[in-house]
Amino acid sequence: MYWHSLKVQKRVIGALLIREIYSRFGRQNLGFAWVIAEPLTFALPVLGVWSLLRAPFERGLPMIPFLWSGYLPLMLFRHIGGRMLMFIRVNAGLLYHRQVTIFDLFVGRALLEILSNLMAVVCSAALFLTIGVLKWPLDLSMFYLGYFYMIWWSVAVGMIIGGLSERTELVEKIWQPISYLYMAVSGFFFLSDWLPPRLRDFALKAMPSIQCYDMIREGLFGRVVHAHYNLLYLSILFSAMTLFGMALLREARKHIEIE
Amino acid sequence: MIKVTGLSKEYRTEEGRSHLVLSNISFTVRRGEKIAVLGRNGAGKSTLIRLLGRVELPTRGTIEQTMSLSWPLGFTGGFQGSLTGNDNIRFIARIYGKPIDELKAFVEDFAELGKFLSEPVKTYSAGMRARFAFALSLAVDFDCYLIDEVIAVGDQRFQRRSHEELFEKRADRSLILASHDPGIIESYCTSALVLHRGRGKVFSDLDLALEIYNDL
Repeated sequence: MYWHSLKVQKRVIGALLIREIYSRFGRQNLGFAWVIAEPLTFALPVLGVWSLLRAPFERGLPMIPFLWSGYLPLMLFRHIGGRMLMFIRVNAGLLYHRQVTIFDLFVGRALLEILSNLMAVVCSAALFLTIGVLKWPLDLSMFYLGYFYMIWWSVAVGMIIGGLSERTELVEKIWQPISYLYMAVSGFFFLSDWLPPRLRDFALKAMPSIQCYDMIREGLFGRVVHAHYNLLYLSILFSAMTLFGMALLREARKHIEIE
Repeated sequence: MIKVTGLSKEYRTEEGRSHLVLSNISFTVRRGEKIAVLGRNGAGKSTLIRLLGRVELPTRGTIEQTMSLSWPLGFTGGFQGSLTGNDNIRFIARIYGKPIDELKAFVEDFAELGKFLSEPVKTYSAGMRARFAFALSLAVDFDCYLIDEVIAVGDQRFQRRSHEELFEKRADRSLILASHDPGIIESYCTSALVLHRGRGKVFSDLDLALEIYNDL
């Protein structure tokens, strides 16, 4: 019985994923290739401009790889959060199909953003490695670990944002400013090691993405980066956020109204 | 069987007051039974449909279900307009675990949309969309069909075929039919749930039900 429902869920999420891909990227011109191309069309020009404006090295770290490893996780966070605004409301009609749950709708959307982002990481890395502006990560498993926690963080926030946006329209309005502010404080532009010690301890706890960025950068540049992270802290915090998000999604069913 | 017990639904208004849309509704739909849901606008019919469809959760009460219940027949809200008819068929086939070809063949034959099936659903006229939705609902087999008003879609030929599919070929299935139209109810239903201001009562005497409904 349990296996059966798991199989149904897998089927439903698969179908939702395909539906998302078609409805977002369409069939014409690039079609599915947009999954990769879309994040790249954002990332490449931005990285290009920055690399012209900034010094090639900052505190001993090469600028382009540093920005590259900052920008793609930032996009993941912003895209997942943005896609989850009112996501239940716009798909409420699908809930008439009893096997489709709100959780499935969430997973379908989040999965597409994650896949799209990871493909952009792979493609841009391949490009940058080839033209020589990026070196192969010194500690690949650390890089993966950091990215994994970054995905978890983005998904947990997306879940909470999605759940709250069904309750009040305020969330939709403040998401833009939040996501800009996030850019400044997320750890995109800095390592926690560069912060004064007292601020650092506070920042690492208050903005957990800084820990994820530290891990990603240590994975990329090796031990020249002194990453500050606590996997237990992150795991507990993100689990709690995920559970809270799931509770919000459950609750959201009480707030949706469809014709 | 679908057994509804003590179903209530409360909404909060903008000012924070609560508004009881359904109050303590109970009824049972057995296999093959065809029940009408009668009620004036605002009596709670649509809310009941949404609760039965499990789109919304009841404030109180339970819905026990041992037979499969369709989504509202002809409901078009679940379509993604930018997807083609075929895409939507594939999606439904996937989530219900049905063979795609089988569903496609049925919809092609029944909705008679021809090459429009490979066009985005948003380009369909209202009539085409309704025909498409109706065909797709029938293509997936259910024990009980949920019908909210829209029973007369399409032209006469389509209506005749719909009638044949729904009431002749699927005569052994159950129906929950919400409608204002006494004619439709008299010809298809065997009992009726009359809703008035959120309260509900089941009548096995259809004439009595209609009489009471007319007096409301």
